[in-house]
Amino acid sequence: MDGRYSHPSFVARLASAHVVAPRRVVRSDNLPPMTDSPAVAISGISKVFESSSGRVDALRDIELHVTQGEFVSLIGPSGCGKSTLLRLIGDLLEPSAGRIEVNGTTAHQARLNRDYGMVFQQATLFEWRSVIENVELPLEVMGRDKAERTETAMAMLDLVQLTEFAELYPYQLSGGMQQRVAIARALSFEPSILLMDEPFGALDEMTRERMQAEVLRIWAKTGKTVVFVTHSIPEAVFLSTRVVVMSPRPGRIAGIVDIDLDQPRTDDTREATRFYEKMTEVREALRGVQAG
Amino acid sequence: MIAATQGNAPIPPDELSPGHRRGWVRTRVRRYLPAALLFLSGLVLWELIVRVFHIKRFLLPRPTEIIGVFGREFGTVTAAGWFTMREAMGGFVLGAVAGVAIALLTSRWTLVRDGLMPFAIAVNATPIIALAPIMNNWFGITNPMAKMSIVAVIVFFPVMINMVRGLSEVSPGNLDLMGSYGASPRQILRRVRIPNSLPYVFGAFKVGTTLSVIAAIVSEYFGGSRDALGVYISQQAALFHFAEAWAAILVASFSGIVFYLAIVAIESLVIPWHASIRAVADT
Repeated sequence: MDGRYSHPSFVARLASAHVVAPRRVVRSDNLPPMTDSPAVAISGISKVFESSSGRVDALRDIELHVTQGEFVSLIGPSGCGKSTLLRLIGDLLEPSAGRIEVNGTTAHQARLNRDYGMVFQQATLFEWRSVIENVELPLEVMGRDKAERTETAMAMLDLVQLTEFAELYPYQLSGGMQQRVAIARALSFEPSILLMDEPFGALDEMTRERMQAEVLRIWAKTGKTVVFVTHSIPEAVFLSTRVVVMSPRPGRIAGIVDIDLDQPRTDDTREATRFYEKMTEVREALRGVQAG
Repeated sequence: MIAATQGNAPIPPDELSPGHRRGWVRTRVRRYLPAALLFLSGLVLWELIVRVFHIKRFLLPRPTEIIGVFGREFGTVTAAGWFTMREAMGGFVLGAVAGVAIALLTSRWTLVRDGLMPFAIAVNATPIIALAPIMNNWFGITNPMAKMSIVAVIVFFPVMINMVRGLSEVSPGNLDLMGSYGASPRQILRRVRIPNSLPYVFGAFKVGTTLSVIAAIVSEYFGGSRDALGVYISQQAALFHFAEAWAAILVASFSGIVFYLAIVAIESLVIPWHASIRAVADT
């Protein structure tokens, strides 16, 4: 509270809402930020990859605001830069131009503040660590003591319903289970933002739907902000509050579809007429992209 | 041991416990029986061929003759074997420790790696054993250090080269994750690079065990203490005592195999999670 109103930029914030945010108070409790600054504010982002074979305009002039607690999907054909955009938000890449603010600070500072939980298409579990040791790893890096690590990790495994597999090694798990461990690991240190890059891309359709339901359950329970990259229209519509449709060469935002389907979403949602209408809306936005 | 399960249906816990050891002995016997039988019939065949075709003893002694040597010379041959194995193992430890240490330095300073690696790879491809007479000259012909230094150099290069590879060939996804945890380079070294390098290092260790026994014995052929196995083999051969020479060679191979299996055992304790170990455990 006090950090929010005592800061000199508060007045500035009134003048240009959501653009200049107060410097984030260093928190020890890892609750979602006490600012109402957007979780992610992207302005004028471009990304150019230089290589021996030439320049690639991966992203051009991206503007996007994600509010706290939102579930935003990035969708588009391959080469539209959706993964690049996610990696820019997560400070795994640096933009060629433009600015990214995360929880009122730079993406770099947000990474050092441990604001990001990341999940990739491959579970990227550390094969030399058991399931629980994998979930404990971020906490270990952050210097939490053993008792706290074990307790938190078990709570996270409970969240993804894998407690009985805690002592197994990654190779002993199925792909879906590995991905759930990766999600538990990403949540273990209570980051405020989950960045997910096609996390279910390698899973079969049945497992995939189950995982989607699980992610929605976790999202509802934890109130995280989620930025989710996918190339599946039903997945994007089912999960998101907003779907960002992107177009390739150079990657840019072609349209944003609000998904105002009722929460919580269930298997019935997938069969609702509104669900199909929203899918059509996204599909048409994508079609426009490919024609252009 | 445990097959990867399809989908994400929970596996019943009783299938997960490694408690099904009942048929263990039987499967082991069934697995090694063919090799044992082949070995025995090979010996019998050898014995028969030598007797039937009257092959000269200095060309190929009979197995029973070689076994007879163990009856007469058991103490001498095994003592020589132990003497040489100490050189091999001592040199192995020196070379392995140095290889690991230098590899760790290269991960800290990439300049060291870029400067060192081309030479390391070049030296690794040269016949280091050719230095044996020089080392005899440096350390004195009966000094075990003369042999240990050759062994150490021969073991050093594969260990160092493989560990450098293991430290640097890390999954980019794992590094991204460590980055998202705000991990320091030191934490990444300890929690990602070093565990990742262990399978590479053990691969080099296993090659190193055989190399070290070869290096110790061959360098003893250039001269050394009379207690050494290589010296014993070359002297017995010079005296046309080929059964003795063969017996000593058997001791050398047996020690080499034991050394190798010891490293394999340590490996399966240290990196039970690795695919090469799993493959063995699963069968």
